[in-house]
Amino acid sequence: MKILIIEDDSSLREIISRGLRDEGYVVETAGNFSQADDKIAGYSYDCILLDIMLPDGNGLRLLEHIKSLKKSDHVIIISARDSLDDKVTGLDLGADDYLAKPFYMAELSARIKSVLRRSANNGGNKLTAGNITLDLHSRRVEVDGEELTLLKKEFDILLYFMQRPNHIVDKAMLAEAVWGDHADAADNFDFVYAQVKNLRKRLDVSGASVTIKAVYGFGYKLTETAQ
Amino acid sequence: MKLFHRVILTLALGLLPIMALWSILFYYSMVNEINDETDDALEDYAELIMRRVLTGRPLPAPNNGSNNSYTVTPVDEDYLANNPAIIFYDEKVYIPEKEETEPARVLKTVFCDAEGQYYEIKVATPTFERSDLLRNVAYHIIGLYIIIMLTIFVVVSLVYYYNMRPLYRLLEWFDKYRPGAKKAAVPDSSSVVEFRKLSHAAQQAVERAEYYFEQQKQFIGNASHELQTPLAIIGTRIEWLVNNTPLEEKQLEELLKIQRSLARLVRLNRTLLLLSKIENGQFPESTDADLASIMHESVEMYNEIYCDRNITCNISLPEKYIMHMNESLASTLINNLLKNSFLHNVQDGKVQITAYGKVLKIANSGNRALDASRIFERFYHDGNPDSTGLGLALVNSICRHYDIKIEYSFENSMHCFTLKFP
Repeated sequence: MKILIIEDDSSLREIISRGLRDEGYVVETAGNFSQADDKIAGYSYDCILLDIMLPDGNGLRLLEHIKSLKKSDHVIIISARDSLDDKVTGLDLGADDYLAKPFYMAELSARIKSVLRRSANNGGNKLTAGNITLDLHSRRVEVDGEELTLLKKEFDILLYFMQRPNHIVDKAMLAEAVWGDHADAADNFDFVYAQVKNLRKRLDVSGASVTIKAVYGFGYKLTETAQ
Repeated sequence: MKLFHRVILTLALGLLPIMALWSILFYYSMVNEINDETDDALEDYAELIMRRVLTGRPLPAPNNGSNNSYTVTPVDEDYLANNPAIIFYDEKVYIPEKEETEPARVLKTVFCDAEGQYYEIKVATPTFERSDLLRNVAYHIIGLYIIIMLTIFVVVSLVYYYNMRPLYRLLEWFDKYRPGAKKAAVPDSSSVVEFRKLSHAAQQAVERAEYYFEQQKQFIGNASHELQTPLAIIGTRIEWLVNNTPLEEKQLEELLKIQRSLARLVRLNRTLLLLSKIENGQFPESTDADLASIMHESVEMYNEIYCDRNITCNISLPEKYIMHMNESLASTLINNLLKNSFLHNVQDGKVQITAYGKVLKIANSGNRALDASRIFERFYHDGNPDSTGLGLALVNSICRHYDIKIEYSFENSMHCFTLKFP
C-alpha cells in the first residue's frame, strides 16, 4: 500500500510518515504544491493525505487536478481550517474523507484503513479484531458470527478501541471521544471505568478472543487473549 | 437623570432665588411707596391741626369719620432737646369708632405758639396690615412662580425635543449598535453644526472600533488556525512514544498527562475557532431545533459523568421546545449551560430546568453569587482550574448571534441563567 503525504510542515510530515511506515505502508512525501504535482503526475498512490493550505497553492486545486487525471487514488484532506465550507467543497470535489487538525495518529490511521477497505469491498464498513466483527453502519457486533448486543456507550467504546488495536488509550481521551468534549471537567473517570467494566464482562461472556486490558492505573488497551 | 429633567430642574432651582429676591424688593418698595404717601397726608393733617391751634380756630372733632386721630400736648424745652423735631413711625392705635386696635402710621412733631409755649403734636392715620401685605405678596409670587414654571415646562419641552431630535436619533442608533454587526451608518441629517460634529465623531469612533474588532477577530482566527499544525505534531509524537517505545509506568503516566494537557489546549483552540466562526456569522443555516430533546440527551449524559455528585435533576419542558436556530449551535448552547449547572454544583445538589413561553430557565444549587458583570467574559474563571473559561463566552456569543437575551441571577442559593428567545 502506497501513501503520499502532502504537508508543508516538515515535522508533521516526518512524524506521520514514521507512524504510517511503522504500520507497514510505503510512504512518500511532498512539501509543497509543485512537488506534489510532480509526484501525482508521475506515480499513482493508494491514498493521498492532502493538506489544503500549501505555501505555493491551494490543495483543493491539486484535488481537482487528481480527479481530472481520472486517477483512482483516494484522497483524505487534512486541514487546519475546521470549516464546513472547505469540508463540503473538498468532499464535492471527490475527496474520500476530511480530517481536521489536530488529529491523533490512531484516528488518521483508522481513517486510512476505512478508506482503503471501502474501496476493497465496495462500501462494506466493517472492523475486525480477533473473532469480533463490528459493522459501522448497522452498528452490529458479532463474535464468531453470533450477534452481541451492546448498549450505545459500550458500542462506542468498543469501536474506539477497535480503531486503535494495541494502542494505549488514556481514560481521559476515551471519555472525551465517547462522551464528547463536555466530559473534560469531570472530577474523576469512574463513569468510564464502569462502562469499560461492563463491556469487558460482555466480551468475556460471549467468548471473544480480545479483551480490554487496563494499563497501569490510567489507560486501557485492546489486546488479543492468548487461547 | 435625563438631560431634559436636568434642564427643568436647573431652571426651577435657578429661578427660585431670583423670584425670592424679586419678591423681597417688591415688598419693600411697596411698603416704602405706601408710607411715603401716608406720610405726606399726615404732614398735611398735622399742618392743618397746627394752623387751627395757632389761629385759635376749633379743632376737628375726634370722630369725624376719617379714622384719623390727633393729640396736642404742651411740652417744655427739656423734652424738646431730648426728642427729634419730627418723627414718623408705625404703631398700634386704638380706634374708638371701631373699638379695635389697628396698625397706624404716626407723625410726631413739635411746634411753638406766639407765647413761646411748645406743643407736641401727634397725628395718626390707620394704615395697612404689614403681615397681610406680606402674605399676599408671597401668595402671588408663589402663584406666579408656578405659572412661570408650567409655561417654561411646556415651552422648554417643545423647544427641547424639537431641537434635540438629532441627539435622540443618534442615541437610538447607539442603543442598537453592536460591534461587528454591519448596521446602517450613523444618522447625520441635522443642519446643526454641533450635532453634525457629534455624528461625525461617532462615525469615526465606530469605524475605528469596527476596524479593531475586525482585526482582533482575524487575529484570533489566524492564531488558532496556525496553532493547529504544531498541536497535531505534538499529539502525534506523544502518541508515537506511547505506542512504540518501551516505557516505565512513571514515564507513561507523564506522557499521558502531557497528552491530557494537550487535549485541553486543543479544546481551547477549537472553542476559540468556534467563537470566531460564530462572530463571523459562519453558521447561516438555521433549522427548527428541538431544544427539549437536546436537553434530555445532555442531562442523561451529565448525570452519567457526574454520577458521584448525586445531583437531582428536575426538567419541566414541553414535549417539544422548538427554536429556529442552527442545530449544532443550539446543542453547544444547551450543553455548555448544562455542563456549568452540573460542574458548578454542590454535593447532592439540584438542577432545575423550566420553560414558560419563550423563556427558558436553567438553575442549579451553588454556594455564592458570581460576578454577573464578568461571567460572560472570555477566560473568566471562578477558581476552577479545569474550566477553560470559554463556556459562557461561547454561550453569550451564540445568544448575541440569535438575539437571545441572557441573564444571570443568584436566587435562593441557586445560580439561574434565564434565556429569553426573541
